[in-house]
Amino acid sequence: MISILDASLPIIVFVASSILTVPIIKTIRKSAQGIVIAACWFIAVFLAAAVAVANLALKYYSQQAPLPIINLTTASEAYTAFSTAFLIDGVSVYMAVIFTALCAVIFMYTFLSVDFKEKLSERYYAVMLINVGCLIGTAFAGDLLTLFIFWEATTASSSFLMVYNKTIKSIHATLKYLTMIIMASAFIVYGLSIIYALTGTLNFWAAKHALMSLKNKYLLEVAFAFMAAGYSIEAAVVPFHMWLPDAYSAAPAASSAFLSALVDQGSYYVLLRVLVYILSPPTVLPWTLIFAVLSALTMVVGNLLALTEKDVKRLVAYLCIADVGYNLVAITTVTPLGIMGNLFFFFVGGITTALSFMAVGIFNRMGLETLEDFSGIGRKMPLTSLAMLLALFSFIGVPSLAGFIAKYLVFTSAIEANLSWLAVIGVLTSVIQASYLLRLINYMYGRKTAVEAKFKEPYKLLVPIFLLAASIILLGLYPTIILNLLNVIVQQLSLVP
Amino acid sequence: MLLSMLILSASTIPIVYFLGKKSPKAAAYLVALTCMCDIALLFTTLPSILNDANHIYMESYYWIPVLRSSFTLFVDGVSLSMAIVTLVLIFASSLFSISYMHEKKSLAEYYALLALLSIGLVGVFITSNLMLFYFCWELMLVPAYFIIGGWGYREPYRAAFKFFIFTHAGAVFVLLGIGAIFMVSGDLDIFTAKLALMANPDLARWILLSFTAGFAVKMAVVPVHMWLPDAHSEAPAPMSALLSGVVISAGAYAILRISLGTVFPAVIATNFGTQFLHALTFFGMISAFFGALIALVESDIKRIIAYSSIAHMGYVLFGLSLFPYNEAITGTTFHLVSHAVSKGLLFLTAGAVMKQLEIRDIRQMGGLAGQMPITATSSIIAALSIAGIPPFACFISEFLIFVGAFRAIANDSFYTVMTALMLIATVLSLAYALRFIGHVFFGQSKHEKIVDVPLSMKLAMGILTVLVVILGVWPTFFIHLITSVTFV
Repeated sequence: MISILDASLPIIVFVASSILTVPIIKTIRKSAQGIVIAACWFIAVFLAAAVAVANLALKYYSQQAPLPIINLTTASEAYTAFSTAFLIDGVSVYMAVIFTALCAVIFMYTFLSVDFKEKLSERYYAVMLINVGCLIGTAFAGDLLTLFIFWEATTASSSFLMVYNKTIKSIHATLKYLTMIIMASAFIVYGLSIIYALTGTLNFWAAKHALMSLKNKYLLEVAFAFMAAGYSIEAAVVPFHMWLPDAYSAAPAASSAFLSALVDQGSYYVLLRVLVYILSPPTVLPWTLIFAVLSALTMVVGNLLALTEKDVKRLVAYLCIADVGYNLVAITTVTPLGIMGNLFFFFVGGITTALSFMAVGIFNRMGLETLEDFSGIGRKMPLTSLAMLLALFSFIGVPSLAGFIAKYLVFTSAIEANLSWLAVIGVLTSVIQASYLLRLINYMYGRKTAVEAKFKEPYKLLVPIFLLAASIILLGLYPTIILNLLNVIVQQLSLVP
Repeated sequence: MLLSMLILSASTIPIVYFLGKKSPKAAAYLVALTCMCDIALLFTTLPSILNDANHIYMESYYWIPVLRSSFTLFVDGVSLSMAIVTLVLIFASSLFSISYMHEKKSLAEYYALLALLSIGLVGVFITSNLMLFYFCWELMLVPAYFIIGGWGYREPYRAAFKFFIFTHAGAVFVLLGIGAIFMVSGDLDIFTAKLALMANPDLARWILLSFTAGFAVKMAVVPVHMWLPDAHSEAPAPMSALLSGVVISAGAYAILRISLGTVFPAVIATNFGTQFLHALTFFGMISAFFGALIALVESDIKRIIAYSSIAHMGYVLFGLSLFPYNEAITGTTFHLVSHAVSKGLLFLTAGAVMKQLEIRDIRQMGGLAGQMPITATSSIIAALSIAGIPPFACFISEFLIFVGAFRAIANDSFYTVMTALMLIATVLSLAYALRFIGHVFFGQSKHEKIVDVPLSMKLAMGILTVLVVILGVWPTFFIHLITSVTFV
């Protein structure tokens, strides 16, 4: 039986370790054995987190007849509609697992690239850990308010990760981001208050039940518009995407990798959970066309902007916007296949974007930023380039790499949902994507370098990078590992009342 | 057997790479040896193909059940012929590369990519699962891209870029078709899908168009041929041989196997079906004329051959459009085999000439027959085969296609004009072949001190030359294999 402690343990582990990280790093910073102690501390943190998540997953899957959803509340039966609630189902357990796994790899890169001797680095680590905790909290939230609090904590703490370098560029970008998300949370709160007025509850089940039988849908439409806009801003759906390229290109590489791999995927999860499955399934409000148009826009705009981009890090940031579009296609379809595509895409998209940001981070350390700088880098830094190449081909959707399976699921689900035009736009934008990514590859492998200097590849940093690269190949060749699990989860999700 | 073949090819890639670091020559021999082993493994399936009631050999393994895909490998007469000819060409190309690529850098990568390419190329022909098919389909794209880009001529990455974008754009339409088939039939096996599509002819139309458009790009049919002359002429010669010999044939094979074999039966009786075949005929005719005419005026040695490939894919498309007539389909499939060998040989000899002379313009060549006798003999035989002269390979296949065409004339007057035009195109192909031979090998010698190529290149060309002649005088083996398959 899963208790509320099991569900909150991963969150508690991350938050507690985040709080402890600050004094620990501060005290050991000066000592000779500092790096060893710090490494041990973080390994211990992630082991504890892994144990906590594994404990939850095992308990969830060892139930005799797995309930589709387990509702954990802090109140007795009569007041469940008003109490803070946790929700445990296949999707949230899956999200917790991939968040923890991805964060472990990205944190390895962070620890190696952001020196712990730097001033304020302890806060950087701490914020990253608390951010994951909040993300897992978002995944487990069982009522709109809990979700709102955890999710806002995630986005707000993300801003610290962006501004860490304290360059003019990053401060500007972070201000832009903060402005956008404050607007977004205002929208969301307004939407929440309408939902509360309509239903008298914020609990997922109670609210959904009340909304399904709602007579007058006018207010629901208003609430939906505000909440959809709010969450779309945070997910960087075009036309609310302006903050993303600035923020991701100005942030340190570790932050960009973290944000794109975890916070981005978290934002899709929120869209999926709140809008599609709780607030208003398309049977309640016919919003399919609106989101289909938004996703088409996002794919087209994201890819077209990247087409003329010279700065490689910004180019990868635009790729993230394009990924938002592809995810949104699957969210729009509301078919089991599409949701499976989404869940697979969360993981794969996280891996590929993180991998490319990490690789770009290494190139940036050598002072290579624009396409021109990347000329001939394939021969000078073969290993880093190889990893980057795998990520880029995965973005293009070349089979035997994981990105292909994700895209295939997304497009097929669009055909299944009678949105063939969206699938056609999707594959055509995917060709545009291939063209600018190949241009980058042409620079990397086809041109002669201008600089004579020898580059030494940072082998330590390549360890997390190649962990991710290996998983791209593994998931591409044999996606069954995850898809079999997702298939069960998706069947449960469609059982949701 | 087929799985062990793929595993063998896959496991040699790292060995080829690390061996190539020490000695590129050893790596080339290893690639060639692997091809021989693969052919031997393929031949073990021969008894079951000849004796089985369905003339099929099939293996299936657990892969992605959620996407209704199993790792299904199968061979029938057609796939076996294509797979064998592919492996023979890779064998010849890797032998040819030993001396041809001698002075080039990073040959370890080159041979590793070649080994990777062989998996994709063979895989396309030996799977009946559309998902696996698509895996292999794109797997031939990526190594080819890097081989053209890394070891090509002039602006190689530009040509490679064009090649990748065009064929990838085609491939995404194939992907849409695969997605639609998944929706309709809930299965991605081409034989099961065939039955499911029968019940859904309306959607089958769109799937048919989407598939055919995608495959036609790979085949370089005229409105979408722009990538071919650049890619095939800028690639290193062994790669050109593979591109022109097998890669574009894979497009034709896919149209035969998937567009016509799986999807087309759903619309065969309708008006749309007839119009579709007529459209194929028309585009085939245009390609044949366009390719032949440009080849006639082009003076770059490799571009002539590249345009002749477009012309020959025109014949193939013409043959495919005669789908209801067995002779034509046999002829078309055999043309894929004979064209692959002849065109591969022609590209290798062109590479040999370019290597010794270091020029590409045929007007500056001449009299090489005396200086490079072996190359000249091979090249002349290949060119004559391409022109459809007996007793060489392509004659038989073109003859069979026209037999089919004459049968079609009896039922459908549309084919009267088309067949007449195709016959004229055949004359044009003789013209450019003779022009090619005349300029390069006969006439006044313009270069002193030209000697013939090293032994390994001679050997590679010799094997293919012998094959071109054998296929011409004794086509029975392949014809027997091909006729064991019934599409209609």
